[in-house]
Amino acid sequence: MKKSYTKGAKISNSKGSRKTILNFLKGLLKKGSLDAVLIPMRVPAGDSYAWVLIKDKKLLDDANPIAPIMPVQGANALSSCTKKGKGNLKIAALMRPCEIRAAIELSKLNQVNLESVTLISYDCPGALPMSDYLQDPGEGEKVFDSLLKKRDRDVESVKPVCGICDNFSILPASDLHFGLSADSRDNILLIPNSKKGTGLLNKMDIKPSEDISSWAKNIEELKKVQEKKRKERFEYVKDMVEGFDSLVKTFSACVGCHNCESVCPVCYCRQCYFESETAKPDIESILLKTKNRGSISLPADRIMFHVGRMVHMSLSCVSCGLCTDACPVSIPVAELFSYVGDRTQQTFEYRSGEEKGEPIPMKTYRKEETKGINELVKGAEG
Amino acid sequence: MDKVLKIDISAEKGVVELLKYLLQNDRVSGVFTLRKTGSDGSFDYALITEPGLLEDAIPLHPFMHVNAGKILSALPSMRKPVAAVIKPCELRSFVELVKRSQGALDDFLLISYTCGGSFPYKTTVKGQTDKLLPEFWKAVKSGLDSDSIRPTCRACEYFVPMNADITISLIGEKDLDSKCSIFLHSGKSESMVEGFKAEISKGELDLSRFDSLVKKRKEQKEKDFKELNIQDSGLDGMIDIFGKCIGCHGCSRICPICHCILCDFESCAYDYDTSMIENELLGRGGVRVPTDTILYQIGRLSHMSFSCTGCGLCTEVCPADIPVSTIFRKTGEKVAGLFDYVPGKDVDEEIPVTIFKEEELSELGND
Amino acid sequence: MSKEFMPKIISFLCKWCTYSGADLAGTNRMKYPPSILPLRVMCSSRVNPVFLIKSFLHGADGVLIGGCHPGDCHYQSGNYYTRRRFAILTTIFDSLGLESERLKLSWISAAEGTKFVRVSTEFNEKIKSMGENPAKKKIFL
Ligand code: SF4
Ligand code: SF4
Ligand code: SF4
Ligand code: SF4
Ligand code: SF4
Ligand code: SF4
Repeated sequence: MKKSYTKGAKISNSKGSRKTILNFLKGLLKKGSLDAVLIPMRVPAGDSYAWVLIKDKKLLDDANPIAPIMPVQGANALSSCTKKGKGNLKIAALMRPCEIRAAIELSKLNQVNLESVTLISYDCPGALPMSDYLQDPGEGEKVFDSLLKKRDRDVESVKPVCGICDNFSILPASDLHFGLSADSRDNILLIPNSKKGTGLLNKMDIKPSEDISSWAKNIEELKKVQEKKRKERFEYVKDMVEGFDSLVKTFSACVGCHNCESVCPVCYCRQCYFESETAKPDIESILLKTKNRGSISLPADRIMFHVGRMVHMSLSCVSCGLCTDACPVSIPVAELFSYVGDRTQQTFEYRSGEEKGEPIPMKTYRKEETKGINELVKGAEG
Repeated sequence: MDKVLKIDISAEKGVVELLKYLLQNDRVSGVFTLRKTGSDGSFDYALITEPGLLEDAIPLHPFMHVNAGKILSALPSMRKPVAAVIKPCELRSFVELVKRSQGALDDFLLISYTCGGSFPYKTTVKGQTDKLLPEFWKAVKSGLDSDSIRPTCRACEYFVPMNADITISLIGEKDLDSKCSIFLHSGKSESMVEGFKAEISKGELDLSRFDSLVKKRKEQKEKDFKELNIQDSGLDGMIDIFGKCIGCHGCSRICPICHCILCDFESCAYDYDTSMIENELLGRGGVRVPTDTILYQIGRLSHMSFSCTGCGLCTEVCPADIPVSTIFRKTGEKVAGLFDYVPGKDVDEEIPVTIFKEEELSELGND
Repeated sequence: MSKEFMPKIISFLCKWCTYSGADLAGTNRMKYPPSILPLRVMCSSRVNPVFLIKSFLHGADGVLIGGCHPGDCHYQSGNYYTRRRFAILTTIFDSLGLESERLKLSWISAAEGTKFVRVSTEFNEKIKSMGENPAKKKIFL
């Protein structure tokens, strides 16, 4: 399955990675190889970022291709401008790897149309927790700038899920990738990974002919370190979700706002089932439960919502951490969902957002099911 | 004149005793109250039918994680009313919901209290609630604002309940730890409480002693409105305030007045054809996506601001730290003022958009 | 800008009164500004306030609602509701510091072709003096 990346182009990094990326995109807009770019831009008050679809290349000067925070998931932004059809514009979307993976999941669910979209990824240093950044945006910028310059992954100041992210670089679904953690900081690698990507490089007369194996090796090594961290962290997270009592304790402060669901890229339903009339506990069940237990916690079904959501979408969870950012009572929702997601995905030998055409496991079956399922079935049979 | 009950135990215990009495003597079908759920400071709202479980009730806990008005509106009618202990803004919110046919006052015996305010979400997150409680109660006793309450509460002048069947007097009661004063305002409450052991007299909650607190709260409110400075900076000011909005719509989901099953702003009317986005690009050179960040805010204001009870939950729930409730309250007051409307005051008064008077607003439309 | 500013004024006109009034102006060959972009609605109360907000944020320089005079509504009371909604919306605009002057409500009957011409001309002039709607060029709406 694993693809090896061997060829790419080196471009000078003398202006810094952000400028270099912007100049590249500007060139493409100028040549007409692209009509618009989807990219983060600092809001006028300077205290956050928003996704902006940019057509006018002058506006690109104000964009920030590698924003320190991700207040809105890029896949949601892409969905809002392509879900009704591919349109007439050739768009490049510059997104973090977890955002691209979410976009791939959404494309499988017909919520994103990738036909005229070029997905551009980069070696992601992680993102800062939104609440930290909002407290002092100036400081946040500084902290993030220093992160960008580091070679190793710094896990101190980034979001918890970024600290244990093992999928932070080029993806099978990337059309084009900026290798930022190149050997020498003087260069950035441009790695085409599809016809679309190669096409764009051609337009810019950039030849991807250099050997990039040392970059690839470095990434693989970093990934191994991250995988280990992920495993270790999940040992701890496990205790927060396994068993009904731990679940109740973990979510005891939950106010039921469903922010976690509404910002989640793969929870794309217009109306979440758990907010619908159907899911509302009916009169009889409230009365019966109250009678049996002497009391009932209200609003009812808080745990049902979280577990239900895991059932609905953990197979597609991309560990982007948006849900934690949006939780007003700081429940580590993203780590919990990532842990569960890793387990459900392993069961089906599925990785969310990896392969464009691959159907999500809920929508398919195999006559001979995978080992994971066989084990589950066996377990159930006793 | 109201009937006044006095008992010689702490206010919170007194309320719990009253609730127990109501439940044990089958005067009510159940009790709705805040209750402790663990030793770590966790709590929830619960409907309790087993008197023994009232041991965990903390009816006067200064915390509002959800608006009880919203929960009550989703509760079924039971054989007899449910005794519900809720904060004044929750009660006003419930009244607004009742006006929208989202609940019935008759289903409840509504118990409220002169409210010293509630703590921000952040206090539980940091596990500080227990540590801050002594200071809070001290402030309540002396009729002052505690340092730990939410800014929203510090700007709330409606801390004396409206439409309650029973009011517990807390603010300014020096002997809260040893005395509980309960005011019965309705025939309904008098007959339900019949037989409860207490010293009984006639009297009325002395509102004049709240004058200075009301004044202070109003001043604080005006100050907050002014600091927002939203009216002087136009569209750019709106963009400055709501630029960081992430469009989670948590503010409407938590809002007691926003009771729609599917919010209009999440409906397909706001899914634009790709060509529409392309058109916008032609004019602006760039568009924020997802679209309609500002539209949602003004739209929500137009739907419900006149009923905003200033409960402050939208501010609490906002992950982008936007002072949503201050904006909604400020605008809401202006809009409600057009019709001399006070949200949650009079259950028989219809909401301003479902009625009209022929002789009003005559300055509009005439050229 | 060398070209004279020609506003776009989205106009929601009630079928029974104002739209017919505009029609009358047309059949009588009276001139009203081409910046008026009429949309026929069955009643002024069909106009969801969100239509006005949307028009404004999407760059309309002015928004006009035309309905029957109070007491004359084809559906008896539609325009009374419109009046309240309009008052609410302009109050919200004022409270947020947005230009409520770009929104206009006017009662014009089917017989008032001349009034339609006068009102729309005056409104057009006013919008012209206000200049372009700043929302037109904003990115972060
Ligand atoms: S559950 Fe949380 S971490 Fe997973 S995709 Fe959704 S928002 Fe991202
Ligand atoms: S939890 Fe389920 S129903 Fe709700 S939005 Fe997510 S996938 Fe849809
Ligand atoms: S965002 Fe947090 S508080 Fe809101 S529903 Fe999710 S877990 Fe609960
Ligand atoms: S708008 Fe905010 S403050 Fe007003 S009632 Fe709703 S949640 Fe409470
Ligand atoms: S904003 Fe309007 S449509 Fe949405 S929930 Fe509130 S009242 Fe309903
Ligand atoms: S809660 Fe805050 S971020 Fe979310 S939609 Fe409301 S204002 Fe925007």
